[in-house]
Amino acid sequence: MLIFGVLRSGLYSLTSVGLALSVGVIGIVNFAHGEFLMLGAFLGYWLFVSYGVDPLAAIPIGAAAIFLLGGAVYQLSIRRVLRAPELNQMLLTFGLSIFLQNLAIILWTGDPRVATVSYKAEALAVGPFTLGVPQLVVFGLAMALTIGLYAVLGGTRVGKAMRAVAQNRLGASLLGIDVDRIYLLAFGLSTALAGIAGMMITLQLSVSPFIGLLYTLKAFAIMVIAGLGNINGVIYASLVLGLSEAFVEFYVPQGGGWAEGVFFFLILVVLLVRPRGLFR
Amino acid sequence: MTGRALVRGGLLLAVLAAVVVLPLWVNRTQPYYLQLSINVLIFATLALSWDILARTGQLSLAHAAFYGLGAYTSVLLTTRAGLPIVAGMAAGAVVAVVAAVLLGVLTLRLRGIYFAIATLAFSETLRVITNQVRFTGAATGLVAPPLLGGHRPSQYLVILTILLALTLVSWWVNRSRWHFAFTAIRANEEVAAVMGVDVVRFKVLAFAISALFAGITGAFYAHVFLFISPLEAYSLAVSVGALVAPIFGGLYTTAGPLVGAVVLRAGEEVLRSTVQRGYPIIYGFLLAAVILYMPGGLAGVWASLLARIPRPARRGARGEPAGS
Repeated sequence: MLIFGVLRSGLYSLTSVGLALSVGVIGIVNFAHGEFLMLGAFLGYWLFVSYGVDPLAAIPIGAAAIFLLGGAVYQLSIRRVLRAPELNQMLLTFGLSIFLQNLAIILWTGDPRVATVSYKAEALAVGPFTLGVPQLVVFGLAMALTIGLYAVLGGTRVGKAMRAVAQNRLGASLLGIDVDRIYLLAFGLSTALAGIAGMMITLQLSVSPFIGLLYTLKAFAIMVIAGLGNINGVIYASLVLGLSEAFVEFYVPQGGGWAEGVFFFLILVVLLVRPRGLFR
Repeated sequence: MTGRALVRGGLLLAVLAAVVVLPLWVNRTQPYYLQLSINVLIFATLALSWDILARTGQLSLAHAAFYGLGAYTSVLLTTRAGLPIVAGMAAGAVVAVVAAVLLGVLTLRLRGIYFAIATLAFSETLRVITNQVRFTGAATGLVAPPLLGGHRPSQYLVILTILLALTLVSWWVNRSRWHFAFTAIRANEEVAAVMGVDVVRFKVLAFAISALFAGITGAFYAHVFLFISPLEAYSLAVSVGALVAPIFGGLYTTAGPLVGAVVLRAGEEVLRSTVQRGYPIIYGFLLAAVILYMPGGLAGVWASLLARIPRPARRGARGEPAGS
């Protein structure tokens, strides 16, 4: 049970770290975050079905495509509400989310699709446990990317610029940092990370236009647990969510149904008891 | 002044007569339009009741929670306890109000985005619980007894009455001293409190009024469509619709949410017959477009149109007391 919870948290942290980047650096709580994940998943699906490209091998292409799409969305809409009231920003991304989801429904219908990769059912025996190969691969990659992002933020010039902008928009611009470009970059990166997470979903679960919202909400839960905009807390918060879901699934009768309520319950409790988040 | 008041009164009466008579008259040959009218009025009631809460700065994503609570309370009481439907609907409204007061008190400290996420979590938690518990019919849902023997024209008059009552409440709120209290809280809670506004009381009151109408509308919907399920009664689409209509029509007004609801539902109906699937895309598109290009909604566009008319022509409009 513990292992299932941990494995699941890899994908969660990859999804949420992108959202945390958008919230932390730009200050935009992106309700459409999961839609980029959904589009990434469809991209992975179509590349696999039409051209036989393995979803894992397609990750660079997918990431680039979603990065460009995210950049375009930023230029066309997000950029215009940077100085608007917080609620307008929220409502705009909410509108984007509804728009993208229904666009996907119009284009590809609401039916779930499954990409059957050759190694989908393969499993590895690790000690007394058997673990699915796709789950292990996804967990490893997701964790590597999340930690890679931390390294970028901590070590590179761009990463430092992002952190500077996150702390103080005006101060950073006085130091000669092109704030607008950093925002564009951060938003593109944020959506690209969601897109990558989506392509990983193609590998293990079914793809449908409705998956986006679920992951947006789970990413919200993780961010609320970590503290809004706190990028570093995301990994721990993902573990909290992954483990509590697995716990409910295993120990509560008919746990499968209750598990989908776990993250809402966590959001409610954390917001009511400690709105600053648990990990800061 | 009196002449203008007469004209306004006459117009209002004419509109009222039209909404009472027209759908009933059309019903004789085209029952579909009466059904559509009932849908529109349900939607308008949700939109306007959501707006009343929003006037205190609380942009909720939990409107479906009160709608669903109203629906489930009424259906459970009428089918399991044998209560008459009217009593069931009243109980539905009461339960919604109690839940709203609880949620309102719990979320008092939360602002903006935190408030929105917490309310969404509340609503979805209710959905998951209803989906799991066998007493509430779980995922299969419940069958509801028909209101007024399923007589559509009478049902139409019921929802029209509910909406009219809400419209009066909304109109009164915007003309009374409450208007100032709500606006002050929305603009800046701390300052409002310093100026002597009882912030807690007004925020919770707004929640209660808003939920009262959402709850009774939910109960009404259950007894008209005769079937409820967690996915529909607690649907996020309900909360989204209740929020997009006021934003599109014009926030914090009485007419805005009503007009927004009618236009949106009509647009959705047209899309439904042309693209068949994915028609809620119109909500997403309008929400984004309105935020980007017309922040005041239709009401804002209307006001700026009025402002373009040369002065002498709109002397009457300027003398209008704004909530004094």
